[in-house]
Amino acid sequence: MPDGIVGAAMGARESEEPSLGHAVELRHISKRYGRVEAVRDVSLDIRENEFFSLLGPSGCGKTTILRMISGFERPTAGEIFLKQRRANDIPPYRRDTNLIFQHLALFPHLDVYDNIAFGLRLKRLDRGPIRQKVHRILDLVDLGGFGTRRVHQLSGGQKQRVAIARALVNEPAVLLLDEPLGALDLRLRVQMQVELKEIQHRVGTTFIYVTHDQTEALTMSDRIAVMHDGTVEQVGTGREVYELPRTRFVATFLGESNLFEGQVEERAQDHTTVSASGQAFVAPPNTAAAPGTTVYVCVRPERVRVVAAAESQSDLDACENRYPARVRDITFKGAFIEYRLLTPFDQPMMVQVHSDGRRLMERGESIIVAWRRHDCVVLTA
Amino acid sequence: MVPGLIGPAVVFILALLVTALLILLVNSAFHFTGTQVQPILTFEAYRRFFGDPFYANVVWQEIRLAVITTAICLVIGYPTAYAITKIRNPGWVIVAYILIFSPLLTSGIVRAYGWLIILSRGGLVNWALQSLHLATAPVRLIFNVTGVTIALVHVLLPFTVFPILSVLLRMDPALREAAADLGANRVRTFLRITWPLSFPGLYAGAQLTFVLAMNAYVTPQLLGGGRVQVLPLLIYENISDLNWPLAAVEAIALIGLVWMIILASNLLFRQSVAIAEGRS
Repeated sequence: MPDGIVGAAMGARESEEPSLGHAVELRHISKRYGRVEAVRDVSLDIRENEFFSLLGPSGCGKTTILRMISGFERPTAGEIFLKQRRANDIPPYRRDTNLIFQHLALFPHLDVYDNIAFGLRLKRLDRGPIRQKVHRILDLVDLGGFGTRRVHQLSGGQKQRVAIARALVNEPAVLLLDEPLGALDLRLRVQMQVELKEIQHRVGTTFIYVTHDQTEALTMSDRIAVMHDGTVEQVGTGREVYELPRTRFVATFLGESNLFEGQVEERAQDHTTVSASGQAFVAPPNTAAAPGTTVYVCVRPERVRVVAAAESQSDLDACENRYPARVRDITFKGAFIEYRLLTPFDQPMMVQVHSDGRRLMERGESIIVAWRRHDCVVLTA
Repeated sequence: MVPGLIGPAVVFILALLVTALLILLVNSAFHFTGTQVQPILTFEAYRRFFGDPFYANVVWQEIRLAVITTAICLVIGYPTAYAITKIRNPGWVIVAYILIFSPLLTSGIVRAYGWLIILSRGGLVNWALQSLHLATAPVRLIFNVTGVTIALVHVLLPFTVFPILSVLLRMDPALREAAADLGANRVRTFLRITWPLSFPGLYAGAQLTFVLAMNAYVTPQLLGGGRVQVLPLLIYENISDLNWPLAAVEAIALIGLVWMIILASNLLFRQSVAIAEGRS
């Protein structure tokens, strides 16, 4: 069906038609509380069957966006489309979305079965189908036989799964999750991350997941929107936002990074030269960086190689960037070793090396740090 | 030691309440000559109290008064408490609190005389009823059960509102949002979530109101004008007549009655919670 027909059938709408295949579309959404602008001009397309994460520090507006999609908040400006249908004026109880609350909000006066059946009963389904659906979903979340348990008799992980079941049993078009794993201890959290991802695969529902935990977002998401200060800084797969951050915020919020402020010296076809702290950096080409503009060179600690000054440096042949340095601190972290280095730049540098059994550098040792041009990124903001 | 901090309260309660109750118990079994109490063991006061239908009637009237007062307080109090939780402006919340709790800030006697003036033949209420042609002749609103009930509702309303209000305020707002998210409109959210979860507050408020209504003295005294008899009034009268044994029996009856009704309502509470939770 062409977009135009859908559009005409749904009533008057602005020139831009929402495209098919998107579970949720946000168009220039803003939310203002008095003088505070919690969300500023956010546009996002969330695809069908996608595990999409909104990642950012607390207060970045990610929960506000989730609450606008679920209908608990109305955007001050902009439009929300759920499955190509404008949803701004639809109250929460008529939206085809279900939200898993940060503290779950299970009904304490109902048992597990009645909690899960709550939505189905409101849809006036018959007893038989309700029973069937509830039992099927209980099996899906591994809680078969728990129907008569009271909420307070459940462990943290079990409550979690009841909350997931209570939402999923309604077969929503979009499942919204507001940091639901925050209260769990680390082990259980990691386990639930895997389970959530599996459940999403099995049911094929669009998941929108709000979190401030980058590992969680990277583990589960098909795509991540990194948010900061009410705006979306970058949208992409986990690998994209990690390896090719577009802003300093994204580079520092996801993982560790070494950031060097400098000016563009030369912009060539296959590389950019940046001078920072009296040193020249060779970086990949970046069309946005005209000569003379201030940019930031971002190097991930695990992309940097270190070799003792006294040893052979043939390993470093491919590295356009090579600088002498001195070891200031060594931290053994298990799977890797973290070095803090004194460098010829104005700032120390952090490097991570795999624990592969090789000799550890010593404090005060003279070394060479090196990385290839494609191991760093030039950021213009 | 923290448990030691409870000491003064325990000593106070034991010394005063328990001793007083024991003295009461002893007195109830003494002989009254008509002018004085004699320490002779007898149960004549009990016989009189439980034998004379006058007392049964007083008890019945009193329970009816307390139940009606409590019922009216709940009907007015629940919506009031619910409405207060919905006020957004903190300034208006304070105004609402002051209004609700104002009866407690005035002396019982001042309050009672205020009601006497308002409810009297030529008072504000009768004037309004007649001006609006809702009544042709002045309605009798004082020196009867109606007046006592109106004044009791006024003074006891804060005790009904407060427990309900505190339960409603403690309720996690996410629960109501969760219900809405699962497809419940406002009415259904109220019926399935807010109402059953506010039961403990409702019961606490009802019990408190009932107990206070059963024990009220000043209001039935002044607004009843002698025509409304309740146990506290009889107790006072008998004490004035130096008939301590009868006053003691009446006091024991009042305490026993209130306890029994509270215990029965606790059982009822558990059952109604089960019903509200759909496990009937």
